[in-house]
Amino acid sequence: MTGALMMVGSVYPEIKIGCFGFYRLLKMKYYQDETSSKMGMWLFLSSEILLFGGLFILYSVYRFKFSHSFHLAAEALNRPIGTVNTLLLLTSSLTIALSISSLKEGKRSVSLLSLIATLLLGLLFLGLKYVEWVEKIDHGIYPNSPRLLERNSGEILFFGLYYSMIGLHGFHVLIGLIVLVIMGILIIKGKVNEDHFIPLENTGLYWHLVDILWVFLFPLFYLIP
Amino acid sequence: MGMRGKPVFLSPKTYVWVWMILIFLTGLTVSFAGMDWGRWGMVILLLVATIKSSLILNYFMHLRYEKKIRLFRWIIPGILLLLVLFIGFTFLDVVFR
Amino acid sequence: MDAVRLGETQRGKHFYHSEGGLHWLLEWIFSTDHKRIGILYLVTILSFFFIGVSLGFLMRLELIAPGPTFMLPQTYNTLFTLHGVIMIFLFVIPGIPAIFGNFFLPIQIGARDVAFPKINLLSWWIYLIGALLAIVSLFTGEGPMDTGWTFYVPYSLRTTVNVPLAVFAVFILGFSSILTGINFITTIHRLRAQGMHWFRLPLFIWSLYATAWVQVLVTPVVGITLLLTLLERLVGVGIFDPAKGGDPILYQHLFWIYSHPAVYIMILPAMGVISEIIPVFAHRTIFGYKAIVFSSLAIASVGSLVWGHHMFVSGQSDLASLIFSLLTFLVAVPSAIKVFNWVATLYKGSIEIKPPFLFALTFIFLFSIGGLTGLFQGALATDVHLHDTYWVVGHFHYVIFGGTGFAIFGALHYWFPKMFGKMVYEKIPFLAWVFLFVGFNTLYFPMLILGWKGMPRRYYDYLPPFHSLQFISTIGSWILIAGLILLFGNLFYSLFRGKEGEINPWGGATLEWQIPSPPPKENFKEIPVVDRGPYDGWVGLS
Repeated sequence: MTGALMMVGSVYPEIKIGCFGFYRLLKMKYYQDETSSKMGMWLFLSSEILLFGGLFILYSVYRFKFSHSFHLAAEALNRPIGTVNTLLLLTSSLTIALSISSLKEGKRSVSLLSLIATLLLGLLFLGLKYVEWVEKIDHGIYPNSPRLLERNSGEILFFGLYYSMIGLHGFHVLIGLIVLVIMGILIIKGKVNEDHFIPLENTGLYWHLVDILWVFLFPLFYLIP
Repeated sequence: MGMRGKPVFLSPKTYVWVWMILIFLTGLTVSFAGMDWGRWGMVILLLVATIKSSLILNYFMHLRYEKKIRLFRWIIPGILLLLVLFIGFTFLDVVFR
Repeated sequence: MDAVRLGETQRGKHFYHSEGGLHWLLEWIFSTDHKRIGILYLVTILSFFFIGVSLGFLMRLELIAPGPTFMLPQTYNTLFTLHGVIMIFLFVIPGIPAIFGNFFLPIQIGARDVAFPKINLLSWWIYLIGALLAIVSLFTGEGPMDTGWTFYVPYSLRTTVNVPLAVFAVFILGFSSILTGINFITTIHRLRAQGMHWFRLPLFIWSLYATAWVQVLVTPVVGITLLLTLLERLVGVGIFDPAKGGDPILYQHLFWIYSHPAVYIMILPAMGVISEIIPVFAHRTIFGYKAIVFSSLAIASVGSLVWGHHMFVSGQSDLASLIFSLLTFLVAVPSAIKVFNWVATLYKGSIEIKPPFLFALTFIFLFSIGGLTGLFQGALATDVHLHDTYWVVGHFHYVIFGGTGFAIFGALHYWFPKMFGKMVYEKIPFLAWVFLFVGFNTLYFPMLILGWKGMPRRYYDYLPPFHSLQFISTIGSWILIAGLILLFGNLFYSLFRGKEGEINPWGGATLEWQIPSPPPKENFKEIPVVDRGPYDGWVGLS
């Protein structure tokens, strides 16, 4: 025990210097023109699209193979919640766009308020998602559940895809919310302002992409004709 | 940002208009889903989704105003083409297996 | 163009020079200087290369005689999996872009750094974390992986060994690759010096550009595939599980959508290196600059649509096989164009044989064998016979080791004076080359014959008729390793004892040869104005 403590004690200065090095790195400033930052963001978004693209490939194949079961399984989804969620995300896209444009005009408080609205809408989206999933799980429908395994493979695959795709999307919303909080803090601190708005603008791009993904996921899962 | 460092300014009015169209299109898809369109149903749903996302891309994400830089002009069509090719080639296997 | 004098006026503190205030190790691992990050990658990637080589050496040793020699079958399964995973994901895929791309891309286009220096450092950290996770996966769970580097389902879903963590590690490594790709594309688009038009870019940059697009656009596809495999193991979503109606062949589709273009991630930058070395030592401008540029782009784009040729015997549809086979033959064309252009560059050049050039020539020779043997597999009927045999192993090593591996040796010798400010002692590499060349062909050529005769890959044991060729192959691995020891031993020796590096030892015309060796912290005091093509007017030997 004492040995371990002594060891920690002996490396403590090293850790301190290490943290200092990391801090210095975070503080480092580079000249970066805005078009470059935005280009990097768009490339990242393309990568994200293809991450979901893999899932869309799988979806289209299974949809083709099991179109009837997909239709049946989709009926079990909660369409009202899906629709409300769509409206929530579309509106949050509007608020973040307004937040960016008001920041560019120098109206920081308006920008901050729109940002908070976006955050709340995103939280509401995740809350409804939670309600929806809890309901499904209560019905015994989740991956590998005995109830689900009794059904035919088309429905098993539908719910497999449903949980993976919607789950991955939800994870992206969560990441987006965390970034929104960070942006809010940076705006309050004045680090992100009318002269340096690119972090917020890139956050907006990411948030809109998450919205676009939902625009496709919603009809593919909830509205199968 | 435009081509040479001029920020893109869209009035809040434009954004609200686009948002209203998006909400309208959502209502349209949901009500379409209730009707029986046969095999066209999926096509219509995807078409509306494509229109909605192109509105978001062009207005909310300002892609429309960045087209002077070639990369921004081609990136989304390019990726869609790639994805269509990936799905198409996979279907060459799945359909004819 | 008096490049030599230009360099000397810029002589200042080079990038190795410590700023002080921090422990030297911290100063390195938190550095955002693209050159330092290149060196960090060099050290880490080469370490994994040596581990991979040792694993390969052990496998060959086991195969020296039929029957159990000195390890258990399960150990052998682990060895070929680890050899594959380490060599592919930790060595060749990051290899040239991460080491030489990071170091020379900004310099060659006349920039002070990449577009996103912090993200550049982040991608090295992610690489390190992924690599550490892969190592942790060996010692945790129910034992190290035995699936082969492809993690094919359904076996990877059923085996008890520690697949989840290993798969997750590869997923993490993918991020590193994507971030590097994003950085390179943005840098090439935005940070070119004045006058550095697209068609004045050195061919190495063009190859990195094509590679970066492949990295950004297809790596996420394997990312999601591995993530789904992980989900399958943890919660059983059923997407790839045939017991639940999932289709394992779809796993193969998604896996190869990435992993076939991944071989272009491995080979394209290598081709770029060769395109740099050949004109310098032939003392001529490159033949068919634009043809090489467009062939790089063609390889990257058409190469993304040939993945199905890995699946001719998987049960995929005949129509798909037919079209994938056709496209496979098509993608051979741009590769051939490059080879013809390199050879045409040599024609009537005043050739001077130096170590980098020797490795470049060897690249052309071995890569041609690798490429042509690949066409055998691309032919539908022949592939049924060759699939999953030693032929494939031989072909792949001719392309990737004979190609990318020798290109890395060439690049190391070519850019060593610039990177480390020391000249390489020039006699030993020739000797090492003899060992490498003889060892390489003794090791891998018998594999082609073995495969043709029907020896399946990944087998722990074999029938007596295969003994003599297996034995020769194992002998080859010893010669090859002797060559590697000589080569790297000499590089280490030169690092400490070499003569001071000249600014432009080979007479290269690209921008990196106009700044001091090693380069100063921000590369250029003043950003150069470019007024000519990359290989116009070689400046002669100093």
